[in-house]
Amino acid sequence: MTKREEQKMRKLDFQYHMRLLFPEPVNRHHFTLRCFPIDSERQKITNLNIQITPSHVGGTETDSFGNRCIYGVVEKPHTEFCVSVDGMAYVYGDAFQPVADAHKIGMFRYNTDLTKIGPTLDKLYKKLSAGTPEKEAITEKALRWMEAVHSCIKYVQGITQVTTTAEEAAVFGMGVCQDYAHILLALLRKEHIPSRYVVGMMTGEGASHAWVEVCDGKKWVGFDPTNNCMVDDQYICISHGRDARDCTINQGYFYGSPRQIQEINVVVEESRDD
Amino acid sequence: MAILSLEHSDQLYWLGRYSERVYTTIHEYEKRFDSLIELKEEDYNAFCKAQDIPNIYNSKDDFIQRYCFDENDTNSIYSNLIRAYDNAVVLREEIGSETLAYIQLAVYAMNKAKASQAPLIQLQKVVDNIVAFWGMVDDDIDNEHVRSIIKLGKRIERIDLYARMKMDPVRLRREMKRLNTRINRTGLKYNTMKLAHLNYLVEMSEIPNDIVVEEIESLFDDEERRTENA
Amino acid sequence: MVKEELYSYSDTVNELLARYGVRFGIYKNGTFKEQLFPFDMIPRKIGRDEFDYLERGLKQRVMALNEFIKDIYGDKKIIRDNVVPEEFVYMGSGYLAQCEGVRPPKDVFTHISGIDLVQAKDGEWYVLEDNLRIPSGASYPMIAREICRRSSPETFKKNAISDNRNYAKLLRKTMDHVNVGGHTVILTPGRYNAAYFEHSYLAEQTGAHLVTGNELVVENDNLFFKDYSGSKERVGAVYRRISDEYLDPMNFNPESVIGIPHIYDIYRKGNVALINAPGNGVADDKGIYYFVPDMVRYYLGEEPVLHNAPTYLPFYPKDMEYVLENFDSLVLKDVAEAGGYGVVFGSGMTGEEKDRFIAMLKAEPRRFIAQEVIDFLDIDIYENGEAVPRKADLRAFVLMADEPMVWKSGLTRFSRNPDSFIVNSSQGGGFKDTWVMEE
Repeated sequence: MTKREEQKMRKLDFQYHMRLLFPEPVNRHHFTLRCFPIDSERQKITNLNIQITPSHVGGTETDSFGNRCIYGVVEKPHTEFCVSVDGMAYVYGDAFQPVADAHKIGMFRYNTDLTKIGPTLDKLYKKLSAGTPEKEAITEKALRWMEAVHSCIKYVQGITQVTTTAEEAAVFGMGVCQDYAHILLALLRKEHIPSRYVVGMMTGEGASHAWVEVCDGKKWVGFDPTNNCMVDDQYICISHGRDARDCTINQGYFYGSPRQIQEINVVVEESRDD
Repeated sequence: MAILSLEHSDQLYWLGRYSERVYTTIHEYEKRFDSLIELKEEDYNAFCKAQDIPNIYNSKDDFIQRYCFDENDTNSIYSNLIRAYDNAVVLREEIGSETLAYIQLAVYAMNKAKASQAPLIQLQKVVDNIVAFWGMVDDDIDNEHVRSIIKLGKRIERIDLYARMKMDPVRLRREMKRLNTRINRTGLKYNTMKLAHLNYLVEMSEIPNDIVVEEIESLFDDEERRTENA
Repeated sequence: MVKEELYSYSDTVNELLARYGVRFGIYKNGTFKEQLFPFDMIPRKIGRDEFDYLERGLKQRVMALNEFIKDIYGDKKIIRDNVVPEEFVYMGSGYLAQCEGVRPPKDVFTHISGIDLVQAKDGEWYVLEDNLRIPSGASYPMIAREICRRSSPETFKKNAISDNRNYAKLLRKTMDHVNVGGHTVILTPGRYNAAYFEHSYLAEQTGAHLVTGNELVVENDNLFFKDYSGSKERVGAVYRRISDEYLDPMNFNPESVIGIPHIYDIYRKGNVALINAPGNGVADDKGIYYFVPDMVRYYLGEEPVLHNAPTYLPFYPKDMEYVLENFDSLVLKDVAEAGGYGVVFGSGMTGEEKDRFIAMLKAEPRRFIAQEVIDFLDIDIYENGEAVPRKADLRAFVLMADEPMVWKSGLTRFSRNPDSFIVNSSQGGGFKDTWVMEE
């Protein structure tokens, strides 16, 4: 631990609030939530406080990617569903999650339905691989490609949806963090470079954020194509998977209302608490 | 240990009701058919009224054919038999393949009757199979709840039909007595006030058939049952 | 003589099949129809020695497949040791990331397997396909045997035919073996499913309850059956006849309305057994089929007893070379397609089609497998009172309790069209009884 303390470390307070509003009451509302940061090499979480209303029965589990989930069902009719998570994170900017068995992360080498490459991305891929310098390390390549992805689409909200694929976003030329991440994943996996989708929070963002982690052979290194920078101690990881679908923050299934309105508010700031 | 879902308990109940509806309406139909062979054109009108079904038939021949065999007429005997079948076919593991087979055979017999010049002969086979089905229900189904729910459906349908057709009060009282002994063996929740009221009604010298129909149809207050199970 | 004798009973047999509603459903122009499954009176006979051989091979094969699935969702040694290339695992449709790290009760993944075999003219048997997801068809030979025995007891007196009326018992044993406490149910998508007859018949024969998704509910990390009296009864094993995708809207297809929300979460915790195990389709992919004999060697340290149809993977340059040289004598299959689709014969293509196909093959070598065309041993069926030869296959059923058990029977399906290899019931094929002889 003493060695740890010498490392670069930042203390962050975080709050994650999600509110679902239903125009008409819903019942038998099943939910699975993935919005709780957990301990890893790069972050230690303390004072974690989770509140879910209305009251429900359910349980907790760890999914196949190691993400923490809370699931359950609200039986009674309700028009509002709230999740509130807050706590403090110690983030070590230059610590990475190690990869012990390279043969076990094969699933991150292949594209999924959301990251499938079409003609537009294939063109971009060909352009990028044509400019490959000799002996380019994986992280160098990821950095170079991240820059290309960052400039290939424009950050515009409301054009793409959670089900938009990497190819579709590339065709639109617009998207949000999910789309930036999917495009970068699509390109990296075209070369079978193991890479994964990460959902988390960062300072200065009002919503949850998404980025990419690439395995350089020994560890997972974070790249944020939306902001065109490496992931540092300003980022708190929540979950990871092959794509956004694996990291769905709130999966719901209910009876009653065909519609729901989601409000999310995230605050991450430097902790003043010493 | 025997368990039964709400859905299957409903299906057992309706299997009982539709099998009875087919059975009794075939008997009524046969009476009419016989009288219609040489008799009045308009006689079927009274029949429709008593059954509380719309008289959509153009002539007596039309009535003979469609009321019995028209699969597109939702009130036809054919449609009711198909409803019995639809309920039976999802209850194979509750009632058994042997018992289910008789409903299947009734459907085959009905299709033959439809194609026949002398439908009464084949309709008798439909009736035979329904009676055999009831015999199998009694003889072959070990689970008392399963058996009793089918039989309860049959009783309720019979009381309903008898009241609609203003049958002999003696027959109605007999069916009511059977219903009373059966209903508590089903494990179903029912409206006890309504049952008491029905018992009172059938003992009246002039049975108010309309009210009997109304009460028997609402003996199971659906809402009450559903909230219990929600 | 067996043929003629049985033929005289065919009316009785067909009447009884109709009496018990032995049907399968098909969708035609969007509407659901049920059809009788044509039954042919001439049984397929398999000698005792021959069946012993098949039994040995089938047990071995299913054991290896079960080990493979366990390994893929666990240690992945077979990938590490380069026996199976990982792209065939992760790019196949059967692999489900949600199953990573999940150990089912008693480590059984392949509770009920349907292994499709064909016999060649030289008598050799070949495995054509492993069906591990939700193989169907056992109910038809079950009830057919029952009916044939009733129709012609003499035939069964005179011939030493192994009794096959233990399928329900084997299935019950398989389900009880993994049950974690509580009732056993069979989960059906509902009456308008092609195999509904089978679902209801197996429920009756095994004494399990036939349920639809809305009759089950997850509460406090357990699965319950909602009784009509309002009480809830715990369920310990679900023989589900709905596909992985529709099993649980919270973990798989969120649009599914026939599944049970959160059933997969409690399965992950070991609180209910799902039969067959979700994700086991990773082992019955057309691309993975090629590696099954290698799996037998790798996991069991034995030589495989049963043979695959000779298969080539253009993915490997050596195989690609062979495929290109012998293109006209091979059948090519798209690994992503099923049900007879995506199958083309090299000899049946025009020069232009061939060029186009080869270009596609070279661009996506992983997408295809190539197989030698097997010269099927035809078997006789009756048509208009005459025996005529037809193509037929055999689906053998292997059930896994503490050890694999092979049902001494199987589903023999035949093509009614003399020129066709397609035996699927949905394509108008019929079925026969399969006699395993005692001597």
